[in-house]
Amino acid sequence: MIKVVNLKKIYQDNGVPVKALDNINLDFEKREFTVIAGPSGSGKTTLLNLIGALDLPTEGKVFFEGEDLSLKSKSELAELRLYKLGFVFQAFNLIPVLTALENVEFTMILMGVPEEERHERAYAILEELKIAELANKRPNEMSGGQQQRVAVARAIVTNPSVVLADEPTANLDSDTGTQLMNLMEKLNRDKNITFIFSSHDPVVIERGRRHIILRDGKVVSDTSK
Amino acid sequence: MFLKLAWRNIWRNKKRSVIILISIVIGIIAIIFFEALSVGLVNQMLDNQISIHTAHIQVHKHGFNDEKLVQNYLPNVEEVVVNLRKINKVKFISRRVISYGLITTAENSSGILIVGVVPEEERNITKISEYVIEGNYFLKNKNEILISKRLAKSLGISLNEKIVLLASRVDGKVGSELFRVVGIFQTPNSAFDKSTIYINLRDAQEMLGLGNNISEITIISTNVNEIMMLKENIAHKLGPNYEVLSYRELIPSLVMQQEMTGSWMLIIYVIIGLAMIFGIINTFLMSVFERINEFGVLKAIGMHNRKLFLMIIYEAIFLGILGSFIGSVLGLTLVIYLSKVGLNFAVFAEGLSAWGIAAIIYPEVELTGVVKAVIVIIVISVLASMYPALKALRLQPVQAIRHI
Ligand SMILES: Nc1ncnc2c1ncn2[C@@H]1O[C@H](COP(=O)(O)OP(=O)(O)OP(=O)(O)O)[C@@H](O)[C@H]1O
Ligand SMILES: [Mg+2]
Repeated sequence: MIKVVNLKKIYQDNGVPVKALDNINLDFEKREFTVIAGPSGSGKTTLLNLIGALDLPTEGKVFFEGEDLSLKSKSELAELRLYKLGFVFQAFNLIPVLTALENVEFTMILMGVPEEERHERAYAILEELKIAELANKRPNEMSGGQQQRVAVARAIVTNPSVVLADEPTANLDSDTGTQLMNLMEKLNRDKNITFIFSSHDPVVIERGRRHIILRDGKVVSDTSK
Repeated sequence: MFLKLAWRNIWRNKKRSVIILISIVIGIIAIIFFEALSVGLVNQMLDNQISIHTAHIQVHKHGFNDEKLVQNYLPNVEEVVVNLRKINKVKFISRRVISYGLITTAENSSGILIVGVVPEEERNITKISEYVIEGNYFLKNKNEILISKRLAKSLGISLNEKIVLLASRVDGKVGSELFRVVGIFQTPNSAFDKSTIYINLRDAQEMLGLGNNISEITIISTNVNEIMMLKENIAHKLGPNYEVLSYRELIPSLVMQQEMTGSWMLIIYVIIGLAMIFGIINTFLMSVFERINEFGVLKAIGMHNRKLFLMIIYEAIFLGILGSFIGSVLGLTLVIYLSKVGLNFAVFAEGLSAWGIAAIIYPEVELTGVVKAVIVIIVISVLASMYPALKALRLQPVQAIRHI
């Protein structure tokens, strides 16, 4: 469903070109649970950002369900992110002035879901993820693990086909991290949502069913269990 | 929800929002204050001029206003007076003889406008009787004159002393009469004071050889808002041999000033507006940069630029509305209070009286002025937040997130 062809990303760092991704070719199928691993600076974040249409490649293309993202307008890309993709970042995922429930509702507001349905769906997701008691709390009243769960809830409430998660467990202790992985795995299994996430942590990496390892912007290994 | 979001965002950094609010509040108060002050000032100048001398409407022989010659006296006075009294909305009328002349004492002389009045009639029309500060407003003797304090001083005469008036008569000869100063007046308009004296209508008619003729009839209307209509009405009744002028034509400079208040306000708006725009741009830029990663997340999860832009603009609108509300309440309270007690400019009284302004100015509140101020301020807040908002949009979502 996602195809990456000859993808290259070169950043300009004060005029010095930095090759973050070098000729990447990858295919992602539906229902994958894929981890992207590799040392710091190997290009994990860059790759996830390009797949998620958060940034433009220097060369090469990303196809999402057969469509060439380079041909889409800014606003079409925003629609794509809204309807098809879910994002979980390392930190600061949530809007600080909104409660957990409102954060989860937010994407549905952008989609124009009517208020009642929005409310119900947001509650249902919070309950499903066993964080209903957080509904009326603001991010600064939650722990890091709780915030990440709410972020996952927000990412999946719109029934996206893919959730992209860049080091979602990096700021969590290992127990909380494991719980988050359990949650993601369950959603992957029960709801057929494709997960592509990155990590440094061997324990987390172990949970992926497909392992893509990057080094210096190149894929050095791609194995599936 | 966007409104809710914008509202909550405002209160995230209370200090910053309060700073913006204070500047908006001060801006509104300043605008309301200056507007009320300038409206009050000009209206007061106009009212003064109307109540000192001009009255609402004047009737002359056609052409008199351009050439104030004794020969241009009003034809058929009796008939005109009878007709005027019949017109609805004519409250008071007063007959006057007007002539340029010379006032002389043993040492000095000065060119002046001689105004012959029927004291009882004039009392209803102008406030000159109230402005008498020494002596009396006529005593019913022959050849009495009222002169201003200023003129008395410059001529070196005082109450009960005698002066001579000289003026050219209807027959072309020079008329002269001896008058006794029975009253000394002082109006808020020093220019007027220096150049005007009052005598009895009868004495004026005699001195100028006018017989029973007069130069002008002044009129006070029952309704100040219908002066123009009344004027048209009178002009229509009297026909083309007469000129019927309202205070607007009689004191065009003041009317022009009244209309120019708008231009003054524009300058004040621009000054206040610029100060506010820079303040708001600065604070909004700070607030936008602080939230860059948050905007990145919003964009990443699919928020359109347009909505993000709107969200920031809403914040500005909220601050604008809130600030305007507080500002209007405070500004109106201030101005309404000042409109009761007046603003004392006694220190500048000398300079002000040259302009026909009393030392105490009563600001006048105009609701349209307040509404205008509020709209202007809200527009300014929105304009000022646009640049920071556009800055927030420029960021690619990923650049924004990178700020984390
Ligand atoms: N905006 C940027 N400007 C310049 N260089 C960049 C930029 N973003 C990334 N890079 C560089 O590109 C390379 C890949 O970065 P990337 O963030 O994708 O690595 P990563 O694998 O996610 O690293 P980490 O594990 O530390 O998160 C690095 O050398 C990084 O310094
Ligand atoms: Mg990274």
